[in-house]
Amino acid sequence: MNQTAQKTESAPLVDETYYAAVTEAIRAEAARLLKEGAVAAVIGYVPGRRPGTALPAVVTTPERAAELIFSPACRNNLSLYLTKAKQDAVPKGKLAIVVKGCDLRALAGLLGESQIKRENLHIIGIACAGVFAANADQGLPLNETTIAKKCRECTVRLPAEVDFTAGALPKLPRLTPVEAEELARLEALTPAERWAFWKEQFSRCIRCLACRQVCPFCFCAQCLCDRNRPQAVENSVRPAGNLSWHIVRAMHLAGRCAGCAECERVCPMDIPLNLLNRKMAEELKERFDYEASLSPREKGPLTSYQEDDDESFIK
Amino acid sequence: MHFPDKNIYKPHLAVIEAIIDETPDVRTFRLVFQDERVRDSFTFRSGQFAEYSAFGYGEATFCIASSPTRTGAIECCFRATGRVTEALRRLEVGDTIGVRGPYGNSFPIEEFYGKNLVFVAGGIALPPLRTLIWNCLDQRENFGDITIVYGAKSEADLVYKRELAEWQERADVRLVKTVDPGGDGPDWDGKVGFVPTVLEEAAPAAANTIALVCGPPIMIKFTLPVLENLGFADDAIYTTLENRMKCGLGKCGRCNVGNVYVCKDGPVFTAAQVKAMPQEF
Amino acid sequence: MTVGARRCLALGDPPGRPYRRDNNLMPRTITAQNLQALIDALVGAGIRVVGPKRVDTLCLYAPLANGEELELNEQPRRSAKEAFFPPCEEILSFERQGANTSVRDPDLSRLPATVLIGLRPCDAAAPEILDAVFSWDYQDDFFLERRRKTTIVGIACTRADDACFCTAVGLAPDCRDGSDLFLIPLEGGGYAAEALTDKGAALLERHAELFTQAESAPRLPLAEPRAAELDLTKIKAWLDGHFESPFWREIAAHCIGCGACAFLCPACHCFDIVDEGSEAKGCRRKSWDACGFGKFTLHASAHNPRDAQANRYRNRIMHKFKYYHDKFGRTLCTGCGRCIRACPVGIDLAAVLEDINNNG
Repeated sequence: MNQTAQKTESAPLVDETYYAAVTEAIRAEAARLLKEGAVAAVIGYVPGRRPGTALPAVVTTPERAAELIFSPACRNNLSLYLTKAKQDAVPKGKLAIVVKGCDLRALAGLLGESQIKRENLHIIGIACAGVFAANADQGLPLNETTIAKKCRECTVRLPAEVDFTAGALPKLPRLTPVEAEELARLEALTPAERWAFWKEQFSRCIRCLACRQVCPFCFCAQCLCDRNRPQAVENSVRPAGNLSWHIVRAMHLAGRCAGCAECERVCPMDIPLNLLNRKMAEELKERFDYEASLSPREKGPLTSYQEDDDESFIK
Repeated sequence: MHFPDKNIYKPHLAVIEAIIDETPDVRTFRLVFQDERVRDSFTFRSGQFAEYSAFGYGEATFCIASSPTRTGAIECCFRATGRVTEALRRLEVGDTIGVRGPYGNSFPIEEFYGKNLVFVAGGIALPPLRTLIWNCLDQRENFGDITIVYGAKSEADLVYKRELAEWQERADVRLVKTVDPGGDGPDWDGKVGFVPTVLEEAAPAAANTIALVCGPPIMIKFTLPVLENLGFADDAIYTTLENRMKCGLGKCGRCNVGNVYVCKDGPVFTAAQVKAMPQEF
Repeated sequence: MTVGARRCLALGDPPGRPYRRDNNLMPRTITAQNLQALIDALVGAGIRVVGPKRVDTLCLYAPLANGEELELNEQPRRSAKEAFFPPCEEILSFERQGANTSVRDPDLSRLPATVLIGLRPCDAAAPEILDAVFSWDYQDDFFLERRRKTTIVGIACTRADDACFCTAVGLAPDCRDGSDLFLIPLEGGGYAAEALTDKGAALLERHAELFTQAESAPRLPLAEPRAAELDLTKIKAWLDGHFESPFWREIAAHCIGCGACAFLCPACHCFDIVDEGSEAKGCRRKSWDACGFGKFTLHASAHNPRDAQANRYRNRIMHKFKYYHDKFGRTLCTGCGRCIRACPVGIDLAAVLEDINNNG
């Protein structure tokens, strides 16, 4: 039974040869690196059992490099596996990692926060045409209905300053922004209406913590929300705790979130979490002229103090 | 209304009748059930545990440390290491706590009749054996020789000091107490050395003897081979397992070691049973 | 495994007592319109009706205000277990006056009689599987009282996707396990209705006017999950001997340790108990928990018996296909496919089982 039927016939955005070329390039580069012993592993994607799906894989032998793929199902932000929270998943030593432009922003953030060292990485960047939306029918090609919201507004299709670029970017049609419109719609609401909107959204939250576990920036060894001495956030599935949890998380990510929107994609309750992150990003842009970028910076605006910081919000 | 008594998660209320500080961070509560009917009907066996509530903070799992032969009150013994135990530690004499239980299996004391017993304990793991020690001492005629080997990091870390003194005085108990090297003060009259080593020196005979071992995993790991060398069979060695628990009733799903639920199938196991489990505890 | 056969354990009173059919109660038919009318009638009579309902972009089990709200075309994102085992519920409240504390428990006799409607076999079968754990030795009346008061109206499944694998774990798109009343979609929109238990028969009889005797149209073809056939006995035998195996790291080293699979699962039943409020006044709550969380087994001493994510995933598989079987003779999975669809990192339970089945 399909989650959301999206049988709309819509023309593919790119043709299959593009994916084949990117896949070939990744495989060749990964096999070379592993054969030469230049890296301990390549973090990439392999196909899942179900047609059209893909999942993260840590490949350690040149033979297995032949399993690596790139397809619209390669949505995961693999930089997650470079953080200390997931260190179990990867071998020690230099690692190669397959990244899309949006993932590269997260990588830059992690470099800036000294979570990883550039010299320990071999970055395989993808000339990326976009990936599937959360509930897209993965049996369909990437098209206007199946493409992720973040990809409609992508500004980093061709990642720069990587060690290797896989594939060449095909010509892509301009897509209308959906998320920006949704944010604008929310902004236009009265505070009471906005409150009602989020209350309704958070009422579905089941505290599975997929949003946290998938986030490259949620690498804290002891999450504030797991602390119980004192209990900062109630852990049971109830309105008060749900609201605190999502607000605390949005605040902790402000100025750090790289906009990969993985939290929103993995939310089994379809809560539009990236709207919160995006709103925070817009505030930071407006007030501190700061945005998550591709160059690592040590401190974001919320972790540093400057004489001329905007204080108008203090009332 | 039949329901209220059927809420399996509802604790009995108990009043803290006395507080005894065993060590700087280990405390004993002596608890008396508020409800007279519970006071009369609450029975348990040595080895069973309970869930103790600090209302507003939650429940923590400890064994019932007193002997079922001593009625009127029960005792528990805990170290303040988490949210609930720290809250329990803040309570005073006269305060109310919740007690759910007794849960789990117990030491098959009847099977020990006519046998010699060797108790081996380390640190704060004496309470699960102390219930059994007093249980046996209160029916001393049913057992042969009783040896107790007990050690802790330092003199200060020994729990039940007054009872150690009492056992030392008794002619029908052989107490071997020890502290880790460096843990002895000028007046220390016991041994210095780790429990497994001291046990080896004490060399209790294995014939017709049951060994009961409780302690930190590292102590147990080094004690079992010593017992084996002394001739103890795996089914003549008993121990208790501890795992994080919430319900204590075999439902919440977190205390299992393989398909063994510590809360229902344990906490008391023979060394043979422990060896047969997946080593995930 | 026999499709549709009851494999109930002797575990005290089964909440839905098997119904002895007589000739007056052979399969009947209800039109799509009358199914809505049935819901309206129940709601009108003050009975709580819970069924799949559209909420924003997804479908969830929720109380229905009327028959029109029933959404049968989509599998609800969360399973029906929450009708018996809510994500969070109060199990007692306390209040302190001076040194004394009083404790009150919720009055479960006030739980409403409920008709839970529109469950595909993968959801309908789960509560009965869970009866075992919630009723062995200690009776969890929070679960069991809801079971006693709920009538389950199951529906044969006509739409499977590539995550569905009910047939691989011994169920089927027309499996009646757990249903009190079972509906089978007919061409043209109606349903054949079969009463399977006393509860189901009572529901049918009480609203007999909405049903007709004969089947008016052919039955719709059943869903055909494409899952590979599995030998659960063989899988269990492999699990019996492979607690330690490199397999666990191979399939789950990349597991991120969230609770999406467990929380969406119709059969995962692990829970946490926490106090909330203050020591002066508050309550104790039982909430869904997941063995994938790193903190699930963490001791206060900081020791963690399941200290690696792959080991936590192993526990999930072992619990479903070995431990629950060892304890209760049942498999703790109905093949609904939710964990597969929801896994953020593409872990596919059906693929894992296939691997064990084929290579074990």
